Amino acid sequence: MIPNTPAAPRGALAGIRVIDFGQMVSAPYCAKLFSDYGADVIKVELPEGDAARTAGPFPGDVPHVEKSGLYFFHNTNKRGITCDVAHPEGRRLFLRLLEHSDVLIENNLPQRMRAWGLDYATLAETNPDLVVISITPFGQTGPYSGWNGYDLNAYHLSGASSRYCGRPGETPLEHGTFAADYFGAVTAAAWGLAAVYGRELAGGGQQVDVSCAEAIAATFVGGQNIGCYAQEGRFDKRTGVGMPLGAPATILPCRDGHVWMLALEPGQWNGLRKVMGDPEWASLEMFQDMYSRAQNADVIYEFIREWTLQHDKMEIMEKCQAAGCPVTAVFTIAEAAAQPHLQARDYFVDMEHPQLGRLKNLGAPFKLPACPGGPERPAPLLGQHNAEVYRELLGLGAADVRRLAQRNVI
Amino acid sequence: MANQLPLKGVRVVNFGWVWAGPVVGQTLGFLGAEVLKIESAARVDMTRNLPPFADGILGPDRSLSNHACWAGNGSVSLNLKEPEALELALRLIASADVVVENFGPGVMERLGLGYERLRAVKEDIILFSMPAAGLYGPLEHVRTYGLSLTSLTGLDSLVGYKGGDPVPVENAFSDPFAGIFGAFAVLAALNHRRNTGTGQHVDFSQQEAVMQMVGPAWMDYALNGRSGGPKSNEHPTAAAAPHGVFPCQGDDRWISIAVCRDEEWQGLVAAMGHPDWATAPAFATLPGRVSAIDRLHEHIAQWTREFDDRELAARLQEHGVAASPVLNVGDLLHDPQYRARDTFIEVTHPLGFRETIYGAYVKTSRSRPDIRPGPTIGQDNERVFRTLLGIPEAEYERLKRDRIIY
Repeated sequence: MIPNTPAAPRGALAGIRVIDFGQMVSAPYCAKLFSDYGADVIKVELPEGDAARTAGPFPGDVPHVEKSGLYFFHNTNKRGITCDVAHPEGRRLFLRLLEHSDVLIENNLPQRMRAWGLDYATLAETNPDLVVISITPFGQTGPYSGWNGYDLNAYHLSGASSRYCGRPGETPLEHGTFAADYFGAVTAAAWGLAAVYGRELAGGGQQVDVSCAEAIAATFVGGQNIGCYAQEGRFDKRTGVGMPLGAPATILPCRDGHVWMLALEPGQWNGLRKVMGDPEWASLEMFQDMYSRAQNADVIYEFIREWTLQHDKMEIMEKCQAAGCPVTAVFTIAEAAAQPHLQARDYFVDMEHPQLGRLKNLGAPFKLPACPGGPERPAPLLGQHNAEVYRELLGLGAADVRRLAQRNVI
Repeated sequence: MANQLPLKGVRVVNFGWVWAGPVVGQTLGFLGAEVLKIESAARVDMTRNLPPFADGILGPDRSLSNHACWAGNGSVSLNLKEPEALELALRLIASADVVVENFGPGVMERLGLGYERLRAVKEDIILFSMPAAGLYGPLEHVRTYGLSLTSLTGLDSLVGYKGGDPVPVENAFSDPFAGIFGAFAVLAALNHRRNTGTGQHVDFSQQEAVMQMVGPAWMDYALNGRSGGPKSNEHPTAAAAPHGVFPCQGDDRWISIAVCRDEEWQGLVAAMGHPDWATAPAFATLPGRVSAIDRLHEHIAQWTREFDDRELAARLQEHGVAASPVLNVGDLLHDPQYRARDTFIEVTHPLGFRETIYGAYVKTSRSRPDIRPGPTIGQDNERVFRTLLGIPEAEYERLKRDRIIY
């Protein structure tokens, strides 16, 4: 570990230096977890910048490399430098940075890292204690490791969509976000931090090879399905309903949006009945347990929908929750942002960005009372910390840095 | 000295139940931590009773999905309603580094295992709590299931067919996500303890952790006031087109295709044999493709339906196009990628039967994770109570007889 000066802020990960050589979502979000909890994270961008800088969302939908919401969100608390690793001198600089670091986090396709001469064997030779966290759609090995791929391809290779999301016969769906990238990022952060924490026990650095597809296929889909398939040769597919075996357990429309309607155990069902005003149909024998309710799903969902459509989501949620029934409102993003609960917990943080101005951001994903984390400093402008970082880590003077910039090395 | 797993020597007492809590233990356990789940035959976890069972024989130690999802955890059985059991739990905690729990707020206190009590037996203990919506706040006692928790984050409002109603995800993506995320939080707290000597009570709200996933939509809201909605498989920030899932030959066979860069589009056009519709200049750049994405997707769907999904994916890859078959559960076990990476492995359970679980789903070049299936109830009792806590034989037998260790 790199010694930390006593005066430095003491985040949980103080003392760990990370090079983030990632783009878009997976590696940058993984590195953000390190930076938001106190590691010194230096984001290294190619001269054209992280692809997220052109991916938006932009204010007013006007593209601008310093105004990408995606880039802003995933790169808080990092310092940013540029380095053209395709240039021999840039590559040398990059390797020298790694000599002074504990962790490299990257999400380039394996063939791209090889083309740059930055394969793991080279990195390990440069710094045997370096933990290299590589996050890719398919992984560093196996027949698909040479494939091109993005979040979408990884997600749909995991079995998650076919099994769990979409209506039968219609297209399987992803979650409306970079679900595979986030899953891979969090997986990489946990396994990667373990490799850093236990580096001495492990005998040095190592490569932590995360396939976003594999992480989901194993832990989300495999855990609950693969034993059954292996033993009995049968498997299930998506139904379009929240839970096909018990009812009610699905999303239903209400007067001002949707609610997640769940009432499975007897106490929950009785709570829902009471909130609905004990309608006559609800006392029918076939509706008295979750399985027979599911067998009569068409009928019961029609009845409940008739009721939900006459009420608002918050009213339904509050009354059901009070009656012991786990119904929740399906919040839109705007409604999620307005939750008194999240405000009371200071989940949102106001941040100031030189180009985007003042804006409200999501805060720390979890609370460490002894060493609070969370985004404080905005994402760096392209090359913002070139002079500072190259001086501090590599001892380069202002003139050296200027010369490198003139020759487009940085 | 032979290399060790990186978390060797870390002891975790895990009160986690159902799915998310056990996955915290699993993640740490795979990497070398000694994880002891506290559970009891007096109140068997519901996931131990999930079918199917090994060889079709019912029993709380035979649920196949339970063994996969709890792999990496050991098990100690204690009936915590008994004061003596509570004392034993505290003695175990006194020897531990981390305590994990995913009950609602206040439950640990009611059990007599609140943070202050734990600190009294182990000053620098890390207590990791992961209730649905955190330890405090107006929604602290909100009732949710893993599969509906996402509704509180805004995520569910983004899932569905373009322009339609939200479609529910039919299982708790948030459980393994929060479980693995939780392991990161525990490690961060361990690192802080190493730096400073102090433990802490981690407040991990599953809602807040999962809400990080709405980041892209959040930014569109923060910057433009737009709240998002279902849009099938389109790119979350509309920075790619085509970007979708298309039908292939056969029943319920599909291919995913994502085109982010113009060269990839040229590759796709070439793979399709340069059809007239695709060579329109408007499609040569991303903005043109994004604005005509529905039409683009219709054309591509007409083309893909003639092909086998795997053959087409391979062919598109040859043209540099990011494409993958959409696998179903049955495909996972046979897919060459997962086979090559030993994603799923057959293991022998201590009770003697063979079963298939997932293996080390991350490959660590120096460390070889030790993967064993989820435990039988109380499988570590003997070692923990007799050897670790030094309880004499007769006393141990009495505790079992009195259903303290139970």
